[in-house]
Amino acid sequence: MSLSTAFNVISSSFAANAAQTAVVSNNIANVNTAGYSREIANVVTNSYGGADVDSITREANAALLEQVSSSTSQAAAQQAISDGLSTLAQTVDDSSSTSATSGANQNGASPSAMLSNLQSALTTYADSPTSLSAADAVVSAASDLASSLNSASATVQQVRETADQKMASSVGTINSLLNQFTAANNAVVTGLQTGANVSSAEDSRDSIVTQLAQQIGVSTTVAANGSESIYTDSSVTLFQDTPRTVSFTPTPTLVDGANGGAVTVGGVPITGANSPMPIQSGALAGYVAIRDTLAPEYQAQLDQVAGGLINAFAESDQSVTPTLPSLPGLFATAGATSLPSMSATTGLAAAIEVNPNVDPSQGGNPNLLRDGGISDPGNPAYTYNTTGAASYTGRIQELVGEISATQSFDPSAGLDASASLTDYANASVSWLQAQNQQASDASSYQNAVATQANSALSNATGVNLDAEMTNMLNLENSYASTAKLLTTVTSMFTALLQAA
Amino acid sequence: MTTVGANFVSTNYLANSLVGPVMQAQSQLTSAMTEESTGQYANLGLQLGDQSGYELSLKEQVGQLQTLTTGNSVVSTNLSTAQNALSAMQKSAQTTLNNLAAWTPVGDSGPSLQSMGQSALQALISGANTTSGDQYVFGGINSAVAPMADYYSTPTSAAKTGVDQVFQTTFGVLPTDPAAANISASDMQSFLSGPFAALFQGAAWSADWSSASSVNTNAEVAPGEAVTTSTNVNQPGFQQLSQAYAMLSEFGGSALSSDAQQAVATAASSLVSQGVDSMINTQAELGLSQSAVTNANNSMSSQLTILQGQLGNLDTVDPTTTATRISSLTNQIQMAYELTARLQQLNLAQYLPVT
Repeated sequence: MSLSTAFNVISSSFAANAAQTAVVSNNIANVNTAGYSREIANVVTNSYGGADVDSITREANAALLEQVSSSTSQAAAQQAISDGLSTLAQTVDDSSSTSATSGANQNGASPSAMLSNLQSALTTYADSPTSLSAADAVVSAASDLASSLNSASATVQQVRETADQKMASSVGTINSLLNQFTAANNAVVTGLQTGANVSSAEDSRDSIVTQLAQQIGVSTTVAANGSESIYTDSSVTLFQDTPRTVSFTPTPTLVDGANGGAVTVGGVPITGANSPMPIQSGALAGYVAIRDTLAPEYQAQLDQVAGGLINAFAESDQSVTPTLPSLPGLFATAGATSLPSMSATTGLAAAIEVNPNVDPSQGGNPNLLRDGGISDPGNPAYTYNTTGAASYTGRIQELVGEISATQSFDPSAGLDASASLTDYANASVSWLQAQNQQASDASSYQNAVATQANSALSNATGVNLDAEMTNMLNLENSYASTAKLLTTVTSMFTALLQAA
Repeated sequence: MTTVGANFVSTNYLANSLVGPVMQAQSQLTSAMTEESTGQYANLGLQLGDQSGYELSLKEQVGQLQTLTTGNSVVSTNLSTAQNALSAMQKSAQTTLNNLAAWTPVGDSGPSLQSMGQSALQALISGANTTSGDQYVFGGINSAVAPMADYYSTPTSAAKTGVDQVFQTTFGVLPTDPAAANISASDMQSFLSGPFAALFQGAAWSADWSSASSVNTNAEVAPGEAVTTSTNVNQPGFQQLSQAYAMLSEFGGSALSSDAQQAVATAASSLVSQGVDSMINTQAELGLSQSAVTNANNSMSSQLTILQGQLGNLDTVDPTTTATRISSLTNQIQMAYELTARLQQLNLAQYLPVT
């Protein structure tokens, strides 16, 4: 080997050293950048024995990234469901505010607690049927129950509308992320063609996919030219060289029974019953579950309770040969002229009210509770207390019994088809709290999984400052040695030239 | 270049690894402190899940039992009021019976029969119109109307008119008419057991004497257990005593022959003693209701204890466990803070000589 070759080796060593130092600096600079994949300089021996930085590898880990994005999607979906259910659970939140001993007057506002208060008020009234204040107390308990159903129903509507708005903003985020992804993906594809360093473009691609995963469950594939395609977790293409438009028309008002619009990708619905390939995860899927499944089911249960109440308190024709139909008694809906069918209760929870004929604040007569005839005051057919006796308790006791009597409910609301009103209302609370508990547990679990996956990814692809410092020291030493080598070779040249 | 193995830890992860656990511990600490101060789960709904309905139904049972217990005190008051009135009436009947036994037609004792009857009848009517709160206790379910009208009222009561009419129809004179002295004891006897007795039964009684309903009030004293909570003046006791007192008051006057008066006294004695027996029966019936209320209260009170115990198991937190949790959480957080501070020191740059 000639001395001039030694010079060449030295100069390549300096070049390699500089390139590696650049990589180390880059890594150190990004030590706290989430989602940054550390770079590794690949050093190879060149043709004359020196070292060259041949390429820079980005320490990516596709499998872990996939795990991060899927667990992020799951966690986001469960979080969205849990948030929605927590709001719904506020309608039955008395369990936590009532102490075990308060009993009769539960301070909560759930329909279930109000129903129990109504039963108590009726029982007290049965013991003092001549007391106008006891009758008033029944009417006021009934009106509390009606407004508790009204407000629970309003909460359901509000939860559904909020979910609908969040869907709209989620779709907006998805579209904007897909556009950003286009830029990053193009940078990678052109960079690979021209041989430029595409690490940072790849980093931003990964980070966009992770952000997308928050909103919607995704999977990705990379083509031979480096272009990455994104699909929903139900295999609908979101991005292939160009983004596809995700569209959604929000519905500002979602009353009981109204359906919100579906999210579509290129005209294909990815949410709702009509979707051939509905998405499974991501916040969007969570909002859809709340808006289209969970909240409507709870609403249906509230409607069943309202319908059951109207029917339980209905008044029947008391004539010896009954000919008239039964009519809504204590509980009614404005303008109703017949009893609701339990298979068509939509909207009842929002509309139920105390019959004005019995409500003293609306000019009604609370004594009709004892005597009957709330449905049609003055019509003798609906009068139960035929003798006008002041201590007639037959009707009141019948009403107390009706609350705990078994009646039929529509099984499509997801609860037992045959139960007492109290049991049905309680079962509805159980259903809601069980869903709430499940979603909360699932959300904690999926969050833990996502945290784990993020840690694993961070450890696999992140930067360790100590490792980089060690590299730096190595480079420092190798630089010093190369410099020493240069001095030595130079002095050898000098000696050679002087000798000549 | 350094080897990357399974032990590789990214600095970013290391720095942030304690943030998550600290936040979790802090949120647990807030709920533990709520539980410590309230003695109940911080979020009972999340804690109980599908047990929530069971918890509510326990509360409803507790509420129902408490309402029934409160209601039973009203029932007890009504029953005691009725019992007291009944025993007063029974005592007054007993006194009348004793007086009747001591009475002889010899001498001018007539007015004494009459006044005996009048005062007893007044006492009976006032007793029958006893109220508890705003309810007449002997009115059956028709508790808003006084069950017995005042016999001596002005204008003349329907009852008195009825008695006068039936006497006049039978004998052609009024009892105060001197001609009434001609009425024989046997005629008197058959009048008393015939047309006069009919006034105190069935439709005539309801029309002239009683406004009460024969249907008694009843109340649920325990879940599914209803008892009769009142009686009414249509009971035979009231009819018999009214009949006896009315005949004394009306026909005990001196206008009648002493034989006829004797017949009146004899008939009255027999009726009063029947009346006393009937009253005692009625008292016994009410007594059964009273003891049913007491039994119901006792059994409900022990049920309440059991239910509240079950409720407590569901929704209350053990204070010792909470205290322990709070202190271990506090330790955990402190530890995490210290570790974070130390981790910041763990940096190779700190240990390299400055060149």
